[in-house]
Amino acid sequence: MSDTTLNHVHPQTTLAAPSITEDWLAVILGLLIFVLALAALANVDLIGWVVTTSVWNNLGQSLKATSKGYASLGGAGALLATYVALTVVLSAAAAALKRDVIRFALAFTAVFWIAYASWVIGNFANFAAVTPAEQQKFGINWSLRLTGEGGLIFAIVAGLIIANFFPRFAEAIKEAVRPELYIKIAIVILGGFIAVTVAGRLGLASSLILRGIAAIVEAYLIYWAVVYFVARKWFGFSREWAAPLASGISICGVAASIATGGAIRARPAVSVLVSSLVVIFAVFEVLILPFLAQAFLSHEPLVAGAWIGLAVKTDGAAVAAGGITESLILAKNAAEGVRYQPGWILGTATTVKVFIDIFIGIWAFVLGYIWTNHINATPDRDKAKAWEIWQRFPKFIIGFVVTFAVGLYLALGTPADIAKNVPAAIGEANTFRVIFFILTFFSIGVLSNFKTLWQDGFGKLAAVYFVSLFGFVIWVGLLISWIFFSGITPPLAG
Amino acid sequence: MGEPQTNPDLRDELRSTAVEPLLPIEKKLIGWSLTIGLVLLVGLALFNHFVPVTF
Repeated sequence: MSDTTLNHVHPQTTLAAPSITEDWLAVILGLLIFVLALAALANVDLIGWVVTTSVWNNLGQSLKATSKGYASLGGAGALLATYVALTVVLSAAAAALKRDVIRFALAFTAVFWIAYASWVIGNFANFAAVTPAEQQKFGINWSLRLTGEGGLIFAIVAGLIIANFFPRFAEAIKEAVRPELYIKIAIVILGGFIAVTVAGRLGLASSLILRGIAAIVEAYLIYWAVVYFVARKWFGFSREWAAPLASGISICGVAASIATGGAIRARPAVSVLVSSLVVIFAVFEVLILPFLAQAFLSHEPLVAGAWIGLAVKTDGAAVAAGGITESLILAKNAAEGVRYQPGWILGTATTVKVFIDIFIGIWAFVLGYIWTNHINATPDRDKAKAWEIWQRFPKFIIGFVVTFAVGLYLALGTPADIAKNVPAAIGEANTFRVIFFILTFFSIGVLSNFKTLWQDGFGKLAAVYFVSLFGFVIWVGLLISWIFFSGITPPLAG
Repeated sequence: MGEPQTNPDLRDELRSTAVEPLLPIEKKLIGWSLTIGLVLLVGLALFNHFVPVTF
């Protein structure tokens, strides 16, 4: 993800140039939560008060603090503590980004409560219970079987309703509608969770990582070339439009289209428009693909994970869709008596997406070099420079790698009495990761005003996206995922 | 994202952009990307076949 993403998406509310980028802020906040969670290894439970939600049919029993040490808070107390902590920390982040802190805090209040309420509703037993045993436990005879992660679908739908039926309210809360920031923090935390998951199966994990290289080749060298050709040749787009569009559809939606737009010296409005389209299509993908994966790929769980990572654009949608896919597939297998260890499908989707993200800067430089030296070459033209590769490198990936490495060391390189407590400690941080997923999904929904699709002129952009995504990207992604990940299953739980 | 609704110039431009023919450098970019990509994918598929997953 580019450092510049949100500054482009919210240009009108910038007060002054921030001294820190959103990417680095995500690294700091993600690492802060991770480090606080690790204090539990020294028997100091600093964040056990964070709220967690269980599947419920009695609302009073749905919420509780993550750690038993904070049970006295009760569900409402834990929820309030979580809200206050997140508001304070994220408002400080807003201040660092030179945003209007009061406006952010007010907007975040609305975002948090609506998003979390959607999540709680999604955990209602008639929506979330999966197995007959669960249904019996809750005394119900039917369920949509969406799993608890189905709450993410409720969050995105709540956001969509606001975006499309209450546009003034959407405008009022947009200061805190920041899917990129939320998902970057979540991905930093996720590194530690994935490390704990794979610690006992390093051979399998390294095999999966090696196979993730195919995703990079596919996104940059196959997808991009085909989408660019389709946009230029079939739909008659100019180079200025076709390049950001190809990057948005092929690589990583918002970040890639903005990085490419900057590299080829396109007008900023071109990338912003392409980005808005990417977010809208990502909503369709999130609402459809996890259920298709559950229906057709439940016996190939890692094919499903890789496919989601390849097909769903924008980090937020892809990683969170990986979470939904994992829940749906694990639930279906559990109903058939097969219990896979959680974390592997989500880990595969995330690895594929992160691998693709890493090369955004390099690809933007390649395009920038070609554009400024061969396509729009003039003596006074601003040439592409090598330092732009680092400038466009998605810094939050550094945070992901750090938490992964530390998590792996703690799980494998420390004495047994410490190592045995690592999963529980990182589990507390992982509860925050889930909350940032919820905020991401809600925010994506709020950004998706479908009226954009019907406006004159934009239909052609949407047509390229539709043809490329549903006619090519999804199916080639499925083929490649099948070639490289079929026959590999996650370890069994327990 | 309010930008799309407030930029009629871009809408007009999208409706009526003159077609720019593909330049040789663009054809090279597309051709080389696909060729290198397919070669690498075949290589990785062979690797995948001969180096099985370690469980």
